[in-house]
Amino acid sequence: MLKNKPELKTQGFTVKATMKNSVVVGPPAAGAFRERPSKPTIFRKFYERGEFPMALEHDTKGNRIAWKVEIEKLDYHHYLPLFFDGLCETIHPYEFFARQGVHDMLEHGGPKIQPVIPQLIIPIKNALNTRNRQVICTTLKVLQHLVMSGDMVGEALVPYYRQILPILNIFKNMNSKSLFLQPQWTLSLEH
Amino acid sequence: MSCTTDKNPKPKSMSRAREWTAEVENLFRFQQAGYRDELEYIQVKQGALIDKWPDTGYVKKLQRRDNTFYYYSKRRECQECDIHKVKVYAY
Repeated sequence: MLKNKPELKTQGFTVKATMKNSVVVGPPAAGAFRERPSKPTIFRKFYERGEFPMALEHDTKGNRIAWKVEIEKLDYHHYLPLFFDGLCETIHPYEFFARQGVHDMLEHGGPKIQPVIPQLIIPIKNALNTRNRQVICTTLKVLQHLVMSGDMVGEALVPYYRQILPILNIFKNMNSKSLFLQPQWTLSLEH
Repeated sequence: MSCTTDKNPKPKSMSRAREWTAEVENLFRFQQAGYRDELEYIQVKQGALIDKWPDTGYVKKLQRRDNTFYYYSKRRECQECDIHKVKVYAY
């Protein structure tokens, strides 16, 4: 009489896996797509201390930033990396201020942006490494604006490609509308 | 009969914009910042120069009455749904 022995689930490359009634289960998930929430940002700390020269204005079209100081007079070496650091934020109003503040500063920075590029790489990398799709979309749009914001900015980013591009390899096959809110995923870093 | 020089002209009539033009776009930007139009801005700010985008001629930066600054994009900001809210003043 043959006895039906229950199948034993086991992991691969073990002695149990060599047994006749063992079934090897697949490897555990590596967690490549798992979102990694970022630690509290310096941007949030500075914002709560009131160190940013801006205020939130509500108008008919939504929210807007009212700057207390002219953007052209701001110290870009101090403020621009702080705003980039806030790109990791997902909660209002931090997310709005960081995103809109970055766009405003890039729009009006001109030649002041290019010398600050090396200080922006770590915040960009941290934002992309969160694997949060909204944060990644925002960061990619910021990168597009960055390369168009001034002369030689695209070229200045070239040495840092190896730090900011690898994370995008994970998402290169995720181009369907069902997975992302905005399907624009092409990023041109060449100015 | 006194001859008065009209340094602070008041508008005589107001109408709503019907379609978008560059002028309507600038009026939209001034009204977002709390002014009627360019004339009132110059009156309030006592002859301050208005920053405009060189390519499009749209207003770039305005100082509000509380001395904060509003910055505007070089692209169109007045959408179709906002056009009828723009007030056009005639002097």
